[in-house]
Amino acid sequence: MNALRRNATIALAIARKDALAELRGRQAVGSTIFFAALVLLLFGFALGPDSRRLAEAAPGLLWLAIVFGGLLTVARLHQLEADDGALEQLALYPVDRRAVYAGKALAGAGAMLLLGGLLLPVVAILYGVPLGAAWLPLVVTVILGSLGFAAVGTAYAGLTVRMRAREVMLPLLMLPIVAPLLLAAVKATVAAVAGDPFGELGAWLQLLAGFDIVMLIAGAATYGFLLED
Amino acid sequence: MKTRILGFAALLAVLAATVNGLFVVPADLNQGDAQRIMYPHVASAWLAYLSFGVTAMAGIGYLVRRDLRLDAIALAGAEVGVIFTAFAIWGGMMWGRPVWGVFWQWEDPRLTTTALLLALYAGYLLFRRLTDDPHRRAARAAVVGLIAAIDIPIVHFSVIWWRGLHQGPTIGDPGKILNPSAPPLFVLALMSMLAAFTLVWGYLMIRRYQLARTEWQIEEHGRLGRISVARRSFSTESVSEEAAP
Amino acid sequence: MPQTTIYVAPRLGGAHGSPPPAVDTDGLARLFGRSAALAGVSLRIEAGRTVALLGPNGAGKTTLLRILATAIRPSFGGLFIDGVDALRHPEIIRTRVAYLSHASGMYDDLTAFENLRFAATMLGWSGAEVATVAERAIAEVGLAPVADDRVGSFSAGMRKRLALARLLVARPSLVLLDEPHAALDEDGMALVDRLLGLWHEFGITVVVASHQADRVVRAADATVRLHGGLVAEVSGSGVRAGALAPVIPSYATSLGTSR
Repeated sequence: MNALRRNATIALAIARKDALAELRGRQAVGSTIFFAALVLLLFGFALGPDSRRLAEAAPGLLWLAIVFGGLLTVARLHQLEADDGALEQLALYPVDRRAVYAGKALAGAGAMLLLGGLLLPVVAILYGVPLGAAWLPLVVTVILGSLGFAAVGTAYAGLTVRMRAREVMLPLLMLPIVAPLLLAAVKATVAAVAGDPFGELGAWLQLLAGFDIVMLIAGAATYGFLLED
Repeated sequence: MKTRILGFAALLAVLAATVNGLFVVPADLNQGDAQRIMYPHVASAWLAYLSFGVTAMAGIGYLVRRDLRLDAIALAGAEVGVIFTAFAIWGGMMWGRPVWGVFWQWEDPRLTTTALLLALYAGYLLFRRLTDDPHRRAARAAVVGLIAAIDIPIVHFSVIWWRGLHQGPTIGDPGKILNPSAPPLFVLALMSMLAAFTLVWGYLMIRRYQLARTEWQIEEHGRLGRISVARRSFSTESVSEEAAP
Repeated sequence: MPQTTIYVAPRLGGAHGSPPPAVDTDGLARLFGRSAALAGVSLRIEAGRTVALLGPNGAGKTTLLRILATAIRPSFGGLFIDGVDALRHPEIIRTRVAYLSHASGMYDDLTAFENLRFAATMLGWSGAEVATVAERAIAEVGLAPVADDRVGSFSAGMRKRLALARLLVARPSLVLLDEPHAALDEDGMALVDRLLGLWHEFGITVVVASHQADRVVRAADATVRLHGGLVAEVSGSGVRAGALAPVIPSYATSLGTSR
């Protein structure tokens, strides 16, 4: 069978397996989304009550909440492998490790997309930011941001899942790496909401896309080494 | 022995370049004496980036060849790199205070990128400490080092664009002195400082690598010793062999 | 009795001449922190043999099996499986080895059927065969009535049976079993014994570590007893143990004796 088709099958099987496990697993997905929404609420307390200031800060706060929720999400996707020793079996299947990576990154991106999508209305309400008109560029931004975060997050989660102090190691490694992603996503969001007055939306989206591509390639190339023990 | 000569040469070169930079070269017309900080600051920054390039490449080398010596090089690069990065940031802040009026400016891409570089590699070093098995540690560190290295150019671009896609560079851009039309004396001062720092860098890298290699040899000895102990405490003598029919 | 389907990996390199040894290790050693789980194991196991791996707790049985499965790399020593260098080409080995570990390695939130279907896909099956093979394996181990229940609700014995079912979906030339009898009732243990017989019949090499020493020795061609990370005793046919070779430090070969 065509190798590419086989890899795609593997990746999809893994993504589907992760999605099933996520959706059925004990409200973990819901808890993460709720946590991220709580973070947004708390930012309101920390920075408010001046609604103008909150509205200005909203894009940054949105993406911070997505990042925090994202950390929990990618960690969880690997934790479900570690629970019953499934990770060892996963590492032993005769499959291309890049396909395994692609499947897990896809599942991670999907989960984050869901997270970002649900947080958008929360931000709109809490911070009084009108999102309706700009929904298309916003959706694109969330897609690209989720993909980039999941690309690095999957690799780093796979790296830290068997380590001591993994709860602190994952954020410690991830946060500096995603700084440019955060920066670009926020700038793109600001531009989108304002109707792109300076015409810079395209540039930021390109930066996001560049980040995504680079990190996906790096992740796929190195994931195999992380699965080995 | 050769390394010691290198060490002395590095020390002399730094002294010479410092004297040159502080007293011999004239001060900048705009920034005054504060501009002199640029020589060690820029030199450090270059070497910081070089170090981390070495770490990333050595990490890839390890993944390909599984030779722990390459991991020792990667470790040396990260530690030496952190030193130069910290020094570069400090220099940048010392320069920033008289020239900008503040220690820190978010929009300066070099400062912000270098700060992130420090965060990335401090994280790398911390992360290394959490794994005991040498091969596992080397493989994981290689991945982290690689991803960190490819992140840096992205960070650099993002901060430059952050500054405003339509604004020009701010006044007092350190990049101005790298302009080829800068007075030759300035360029010479920078180059001599860079050469001196590179000697220091080379010396530190070699020493750190030797140290890492010795640490590894001790570790290896210990591992072999434990295997010998296990064999010696093995009490049963009979190892019966039977040929297959 | 219903026919059990056993899938076998194709022979490597031509059908002529005798096959290479299924397992050929040379001074395998593995350290975990300060302790040597294996301190130099040299074994040669002929193809098609069933080998009982015995020894007290901590003797190194699990570690040896994990190294043979390519789940972990040895600290020292070499390993060839079916004539293939396992350290250089683990990916080839993984297409030919099936490994039952202590933990069942299942996803709690998926049903038994979904778990097996996933495993079947990963093990190379495609299309309609995935479901067929998974169904058959589940029925084989007696889990058909609970095939659509989440594994999270399974007892330890049921998980073990499911893990055994996963072995039936693979196409191995070497099967490694780490305590297959653990957590199983009398019926379950009889199932394991039956599978051991079937694998032997199909010419698949089996290495099984079990505390149920009598059961495995009865089913085996040879017995290897480990103690303190070393081979204490070998008996039976088809297995040879090598002498303890000195462990060569890697730094000595790659760096010479320079300071």
